[in-house]
Amino acid sequence: MIWSIAWKNVWRNRKRSLVVIVAVSLGITGGVFLFGFVEGWSRQRMDNAIYNEVSHIQIHNSEYRKNEEIGLTVQNLNGLSRSIDTLRELSAWTKRTKIIAMLETPWGNTGLKLYGINPEKEKRISRIHNMIVRDGGRYIDKKNPSDILISDKTADMLKLKHYIISDTVIAKLTGGKIPERIIEKLERLKNIRYRSSGDFNEALIAEMGKKETESFGPVISELSRSYRIRSRIQVTISDLGGNPVHGIFRVCGVYRTANTGFDQTTAFVNEDELVKLYGGKEILTHEIAILLNNTDESGMVRDKLNRIAGNNSVSTWRELAPDAALLNDFMIVYYFIFIGIIMLALAFGIINTMLMAVLERTRELGMLMAIGMNRRRVFAMIMLETVFLTFTGAIAGMLSGWVITGILGKTGIYLSGWAEGFEALGFASRVYPVVTIDFIMFTSLMVTATAILASVWPARKALKLIPADALSTK
Amino acid sequence: MKVLELKNVNKIYNSAEIKVHAVNDVTLEFEEAEFAAIVGPSGSGKTTLLNMIGGLDMPTSGEIIIGGVDLSRLRPSELIDFRLNNIGFVFQSFNLIPVLTAKENVEFIMALQKWPADKREERTLELLRAVGLEERINSRPSKLSGGQQQRVAVARALASRPKFVLADEPTANLDSKAAAILLEIMEKLNRDEKITFIFSTHDPRVMKMARRVITLEDGKVISDEGKE
Repeated sequence: MIWSIAWKNVWRNRKRSLVVIVAVSLGITGGVFLFGFVEGWSRQRMDNAIYNEVSHIQIHNSEYRKNEEIGLTVQNLNGLSRSIDTLRELSAWTKRTKIIAMLETPWGNTGLKLYGINPEKEKRISRIHNMIVRDGGRYIDKKNPSDILISDKTADMLKLKHYIISDTVIAKLTGGKIPERIIEKLERLKNIRYRSSGDFNEALIAEMGKKETESFGPVISELSRSYRIRSRIQVTISDLGGNPVHGIFRVCGVYRTANTGFDQTTAFVNEDELVKLYGGKEILTHEIAILLNNTDESGMVRDKLNRIAGNNSVSTWRELAPDAALLNDFMIVYYFIFIGIIMLALAFGIINTMLMAVLERTRELGMLMAIGMNRRRVFAMIMLETVFLTFTGAIAGMLSGWVITGILGKTGIYLSGWAEGFEALGFASRVYPVVTIDFIMFTSLMVTATAILASVWPARKALKLIPADALSTK
Repeated sequence: MKVLELKNVNKIYNSAEIKVHAVNDVTLEFEEAEFAAIVGPSGSGKTTLLNMIGGLDMPTSGEIIIGGVDLSRLRPSELIDFRLNNIGFVFQSFNLIPVLTAKENVEFIMALQKWPADKREERTLELLRAVGLEERINSRPSKLSGGQQQRVAVARALASRPKFVLADEPTANLDSKAAAILLEIMEKLNRDEKITFIFSTHDPRVMKMARRVITLEDGKVISDEGKE
């Protein structure tokens, strides 16, 4: 019956209770959303790091990461390969050649790390093959030995990307979300070729102004952009003797990840074709990349491999992409700080409301104690009221936070204003918030604990009442 | 059978400037099924005496013995349980729990005593029928008149099967018709259930109906008259 009275008491002063419930609900909604946003962001960075960039574990010659020389290959490759094959935790693995290279076209050049890969094995370990941009060709094929896969950023630097507002582009833009006046302005830029995104953007600003370029520029650029697929690129590397050697590759495709830093320093070719360039009898292995079934097992597998690695170094994704690991670890600290602030604010609101409720009911509490309701029950009643009041708001907040985060988790949140900066740091510019059941459970526990703690003061106040005095209050 | 005994009970309030002897050497005994009124002018010590009899306040000296138990020997937590099981209270301003219905208000005290649900239900209906409110069992106090609320309070006071019921000016907030109905009900319950009723009152109707009238003045019993 105390539960029932406590619940009914919550609704005694509807307006006041609703204010508290709405405040709690908004706080929790904000908390859930913000946590979901940062959690999603952190997970995306971790996923990108693991599945696009470094895998779970990499093995190198122990000198290689300090000095990326062509001769510093993985030692005891056969023995190591056999051991990796027997790993119970293994999902896939591959060997890579990794050489510093200079890429040149008649219009531009850039330096980067050129990976010699086995395309089929690589597909099992990395998601780059799924990140070919629209009209950006295809992934490397072993049947086309001269294939080179470059990033959108590299294409920009090599001027293998151009922008033309053609009739087709105008037709696609018309009838969409682009206003007619903008289409009219674009007519003046029609059929002019721009060799870089910078030049094209400048032309758009000159014609439409900065504000409208910010609003409509991304859509216009996306439709106007095309790549010079099958263009020839001259690749220069040092051979085994340290002499510069050149080779010609043809662009088979253009990829784009969320990390422009990675993109502008990474290109892929067939390992069999690269060996012809640097000479030698066999494919050099500078890097072994291992993908596991479970990210949490990375440390344990690293320790296992370290025992048989000999003169090689074994590193997990945490060491290879420390920014992603740091963000992942910081999430927990961030959560505690944020939830702590919310709970503190919540506690003050609840204490205030419950103290008022106790003061207003002095006479009634006196009567309850007079007729035989003992202190334990009075305390429990006030505590339950506080928990009910808080939990009603918390449930509403968690539900609304869950729904909002769920919707945004599907559509994503595009951080358009900061996209370039974030991508340069390796962070996605479109964030998909994620809320886990663990988070909801833990937040529920925190809310309950806060409600119970916040109820102590008002409940103690109630316990201090002397029935005879309380009954005589007007 | 003696249900309540007061032996040389005194209550002295000591403030900074003045010492008030609110109850002065009161010795009284109440038997089972008494219908007694404590009367006297304002400030005569009626409410203080009633509070001490009900265990809500402690005497400065003297003994209050209920069913052989000296209240001053009980710890505060024991005193609350003692009140729950031995004393029924009816207050001047009804003091029902506003969020509960009439039925729930009566049941509440039995729930505190951990009665089984079916027995609670049975006793509640029996009592509400006895006070003439069987039609209003699901009404909240705000939907009941003052007289009806006080009848619910009487039913609640009797629910725990107490040794006696203390009623502090129960008719003070009622019109004459409602007061008459309430008094009739209490008198009937007193006769039927053999429950002792002790009132503090100014109301001549209560004094008229009471079979024993104790008059207080300046904290002292100046008369104790029984009538049959």
